[in-house]
Amino acid sequence: MSNPWIAVGALALVGLAIPLSMIAISSLLRPSVPEQGKRAVYESGEVPTGDTRIRFNIQYYMVALLFVVFDVETVLIFPWALIYSDAVAEFGLGPVLGPMLVFLAILVIGLGWAWRTGAVRWVKSERAEIKTQL
Amino acid sequence: MIAGGLALAPAGAFVLAALALFVIDAFSPGKTSGGVLAGVSAFGAVGALAASGVFLLSGAASGGIELFGGQLVVDGMSLLFTFIFGSVTALVAVASFDYVREMPHRAEYYMLILLAATGMSLMASANSLAVAFVSLELASLPSYALVAYLKGNRGSVEGGLKYFLIGALSSAILVYGISLVYASTGSLLLSDVADAAGEAAATYPGVFGTGVLMIIGGLAFKTASVPFHFWAPDAYEGAPAPVSAFLSSASKAAGFVLAFRILLVGFPIQSVVGAIDWVLVFQILAVLTMTIGNFAAATQERVKRMLAYSSIGHAGYVLIGLAALTGVGGASAGATVLGASMLHLLVYGFMNTGAFLFVALVEHWEIGRTFEDYNGLARQAPLACVAMTVFMFSLAGLPVGGGFVSKYYLFAGAVGAGVWWLALVGAINSALSLYYYSRVVKAMWIEEPIEGRTIAHYPTALYAAVLTAAVVTVFLLPGLVVFDGAAFDAAAALL
Amino acid sequence: MVLETVPVEYYMVLSAAVFCAGLFGVLTRRNALLFLMSVELLLNAANINLVVFAFYWGEITGQVFALFVIAIAAAEVAIGIGIILVLQRNFGDVDVTDATTLRW
Repeated sequence: MSNPWIAVGALALVGLAIPLSMIAISSLLRPSVPEQGKRAVYESGEVPTGDTRIRFNIQYYMVALLFVVFDVETVLIFPWALIYSDAVAEFGLGPVLGPMLVFLAILVIGLGWAWRTGAVRWVKSERAEIKTQL
Repeated sequence: MIAGGLALAPAGAFVLAALALFVIDAFSPGKTSGGVLAGVSAFGAVGALAASGVFLLSGAASGGIELFGGQLVVDGMSLLFTFIFGSVTALVAVASFDYVREMPHRAEYYMLILLAATGMSLMASANSLAVAFVSLELASLPSYALVAYLKGNRGSVEGGLKYFLIGALSSAILVYGISLVYASTGSLLLSDVADAAGEAAATYPGVFGTGVLMIIGGLAFKTASVPFHFWAPDAYEGAPAPVSAFLSSASKAAGFVLAFRILLVGFPIQSVVGAIDWVLVFQILAVLTMTIGNFAAATQERVKRMLAYSSIGHAGYVLIGLAALTGVGGASAGATVLGASMLHLLVYGFMNTGAFLFVALVEHWEIGRTFEDYNGLARQAPLACVAMTVFMFSLAGLPVGGGFVSKYYLFAGAVGAGVWWLALVGAINSALSLYYYSRVVKAMWIEEPIEGRTIAHYPTALYAAVLTAAVVTVFLLPGLVVFDGAAFDAAAALL
Repeated sequence: MVLETVPVEYYMVLSAAVFCAGLFGVLTRRNALLFLMSVELLLNAANINLVVFAFYWGEITGQVFALFVIAIAAAEVAIGIGIILVLQRNFGDVDVTDATTLRW
């Protein structure tokens, strides 16, 4: 059996060679017409305004925080879902479903609390209020 | 024997109280009365305290009850420590009623305390490296937020930041150590790790030894031992004083119980000595921690920071329990000194919590932080100052409180286990500690009072917590015998 | 399978390299957000070990534990960002060496 690293090395070589050769060939073939319009930022046909480094509304922070925490909790559900049917067949419904329901209930209590305390309430700025009235 | 689920009642009391607070606070966010919040927290903590105390003293779990396929174990040691966590949490919850009365986010404060206490009680029961890591994080993450609770106070935020930075680093080191131990032994369950440890230590001494050393590093952070102690003075000084009390007593005890369980059950010294001699490591750590903690405490000008460094010194005394397991004097000598460590943490849970709560009382009166600010305080608040005097002398090891008995056991046990020099270093450090503890007492009782200082009112709940801690500390001088048997049995069961 | 032919030591070297990169970042970076990213590297170095050796030993404990580590890392970041936010509000920067009001 040949060394499997040969295949890995060949893949790496080909992976590098293809994009490099495409860049090289196109730079040989294409005509060069420098023009101002080509350098502009394309924003769906709009004339671009301002630069990319803007301040995001701080309220996104709470949303992002809640998302990160609850998003990663799903990771703990995957292995459970994977073995669910086999486990039910072996141990019965209660011992398999019960703990997960407790886990989800704790998460729901946390989410409900975050909701009630206003973590996901969007406070509109005065300017936005005026805009909606117009 | 008690049924499996019932054995988790102490931890369950913390969880249920925390979840109850979430539900209560969701009804009228931010407007729940402080009395309800403190009451529910104290009720949960007393529930945990009572359940663990009853199980412990009735010997219901003396054989050790394994749950969830051996992931958790409820035995004498876990119950003894859950008893400590319950008592500290109850004292802190009651004292906080006055301390956070005027502050926003009161409900979150109590929830975080209860969730951290849950993590600690799980740490006491953790019987696998996975549960150890998860429960340690459950105890740590709320603690970071608690230290930084005073959002607008620079000291609090700075303490929280430093605690978080060092905590995140050392928990990463801990989990990498766990992964190395898993790599060399193929299991996370402590009993299976112990079975494979001898072979792993012989086959891959480098990987296994590095893993154990990294785990010890992660645990040293939680117990505020040298060389991971740098966060402690800043975090304890910056945090609200009840939180400092909670962290320096309960969180430290939780770190120790985890260290005892992981090292004694997972890495028995006779089988891993070829790869890493952790008894030697702890001998070095104990001497360094005692000496650095006490010398740094002696140079402080602020009382809270002095207590923070003295708390590092006490971690050094408790480390003797692990450092003295040399095998000299047989298993009974080892059990004595290890049990003495546990008893010291129990007494420490009351006397140190009380001392920090006294500082909370002083912070509540807003009369300053240095020794001079305490001058003549006894004329205005004699009762509280009597309590503080008890805490100080008991911490120093004078026979006015339980601290004398537990220190005596500890040093006598060390001599019995053949490491008399550790006992000698401990005794010298205790003598030094008497100097800086008595500075507080001298300031309170002997110095002339500061002109123009008035104390408007005497907060009932804080007073109740301080006095309870003082009464229990004094009671433990003759009363420590109640827990003697339980602690020595728990230690013997581990060895 | 590649894992059967690539020696397990290579994976340990990889995870040690990732760990060292993270440790270097932790020790040298003054920006609190970069510190958080470096801690993520440290945790993921451990995850590499856990997953590889779960395969090596032919059991899944390590893989499941890696999932727990991922979940805890997310919680840690959530707390860390909160603390960094109040740091920014009190000290006007996210430089971890700025916070020096408490000394000795």
